[in-house]
Amino acid sequence: MIETIHLSKSYGKVQALIDLQLRIEQGKVFGFIGPNGAGKSTTMMILSTLLEPTEGEAFVCGYDVRKEPAEVRQSLGYMPDFFGVYDNLTAVEYLDFYAGAFKIAPHKRSSLIADLLELVNLSDKAEAYVDSLSRGMQQRLSLARCLIHDPQVLILDEPASGLDPRARIELREILKQLRCMGKTILISSHILPELAELCDDIGIIEKGRLIACGGLDEVSIRARGVTLMMVKTLRNHHRAALILAENMFVEDLEENMDGFRFRFIGSDHQKAELLQKLIEAEVAVSYFGESSENLEAVFLAITEGVAGR
Amino acid sequence: MKSSSLNPIIVKELRERFRSKKTVWTLALFLLIMGGIPLGFLIVNPIKAGSLGQNKDLFVISAALHYAMICFVAPALTAGAVSGERERQTLNILLTTQLSPRTIIWSKLFTSLAFTSLLVIASMPLYSIVMLYGSVSPEQLLTLALFFGVNIMFLGSLGLFCSTWIKRTAVSTIIAYGIAFFFVVVTGLLFLFLGEILIQLTPDRSLQQEVWGRPELQYLAGINPVIVLFAILGETVLPTIRFDFTPWLFFSCFYLVLSILLVLWSAYLLRPIRRKWWSWKK
Repeated sequence: MIETIHLSKSYGKVQALIDLQLRIEQGKVFGFIGPNGAGKSTTMMILSTLLEPTEGEAFVCGYDVRKEPAEVRQSLGYMPDFFGVYDNLTAVEYLDFYAGAFKIAPHKRSSLIADLLELVNLSDKAEAYVDSLSRGMQQRLSLARCLIHDPQVLILDEPASGLDPRARIELREILKQLRCMGKTILISSHILPELAELCDDIGIIEKGRLIACGGLDEVSIRARGVTLMMVKTLRNHHRAALILAENMFVEDLEENMDGFRFRFIGSDHQKAELLQKLIEAEVAVSYFGESSENLEAVFLAITEGVAGR
Repeated sequence: MKSSSLNPIIVKELRERFRSKKTVWTLALFLLIMGGIPLGFLIVNPIKAGSLGQNKDLFVISAALHYAMICFVAPALTAGAVSGERERQTLNILLTTQLSPRTIIWSKLFTSLAFTSLLVIASMPLYSIVMLYGSVSPEQLLTLALFFGVNIMFLGSLGLFCSTWIKRTAVSTIIAYGIAFFFVVVTGLLFLFLGEILIQLTPDRSLQQEVWGRPELQYLAGINPVIVLFAILGETVLPTIRFDFTPWLFFSCFYLVLSILLVLWSAYLLRPIRRKWWSWKK
């Protein structure tokens, strides 16, 4: 559905993207992770026909982004990281404008717009002016705008940035619905744990290079023997702190109110031994497992070497 | 809300423009200025039976004022058309739709021209006061309307081009006014200075006045809106020029061609992927 072959982009002497090889199958949700300036938006803009690659090729639904831009645009919905607002337009008029821009017949538009507003839970805001909507609502409206021409591919550049937790959850639920509808989604985010739940595959990009790509488990540093762990205790907190600090497989130990967060570089067997030690020391362990921020650990561990290059 | 089969940009732009209070105030202010001056003229020069058909001053003042207002309004309305989309970060989204850059440019130009034309048309009834004084032929009025139309088209295209070329609206507006100043004032000054230099270089005094009839000076005068405007009004502001062609016709052709070139160039600049003709291959 999305394929890039030796894709590179440079701005003068600055290489924004280097030899990107990517293949996303139909119906998959692919998470693109990387710090600012890593090349995520550049890739997305090339795929959306907004930037010309310096080298290589890119295909969306089999169409070449360079040679068949009109077909590519018809096949994808692009959502940039910032929601641009038109003054004095209601949500319905906003969607109607884009429906017209995709040459959708006028008689089909009203029912289509009503369905889309329902999908993004904005039916009650149909007649509200776009600039009066909250950031979360604007992002959802933007998502509805992406879907106006029923594209097979969605390219979402940091859709959750700047949203409060509730708005993030709402957006994530809509994205899950879209995944169920069989849409192929390329999504980038800084909020890494969000992608863990949503994505089938992830790609980690740093300084223009794709440094890891595949299923979450595949990419996870569990395979490399590193896990971001969390231990919560009810009793004997200080004794637990001592055991953890002395354990040779524990790194970057952080102590919280009710527990600990650390990087564990040992195997599952060594993890079990650590738990046993804690129990033998009569520490009341209420939680012993991977941290919900594990994807962040994946990212940090993988990019650690690249950042130093 | 009823969906329209019209060009979506035109529908959206008109919707946005006419819902804005700024539009009403612009129109009101324009009519106030355009109506206030002839009214003041009427007070200073009351209509007398003896002078009917003799006084052309009001016509000249109204036309010059109209032209000045067009020069002021037309570039400003288009100079933010594309850069404004860029600043609002809506341009990239627009470019991923099925609207071609050429359609976007033409639509933006059309809506801006529509509003400038509305200003001009709304103020046209004020010419009825001019008619009270007479001495203006319907043909002159029609030529003047055409002259205004060409100027609106050119200055609008110029503003649009600057808006596409330059990223920031404020800078694009300043540059649009700068280029407009070149065509309105500098070409006139060039005509005058070149003519004077040529006179100085002509030793034969009897041939000195012939200098103003030289083809290159005629063409230069033909592209200067002020000289052409006064030629339409039957007045002279600079040394008398004997045109070998109809000045307003030459002016209209020149600026219409220039406008089309500016629009096409803007559409090319707006294309996200600019394919060079020598690298074209399927």
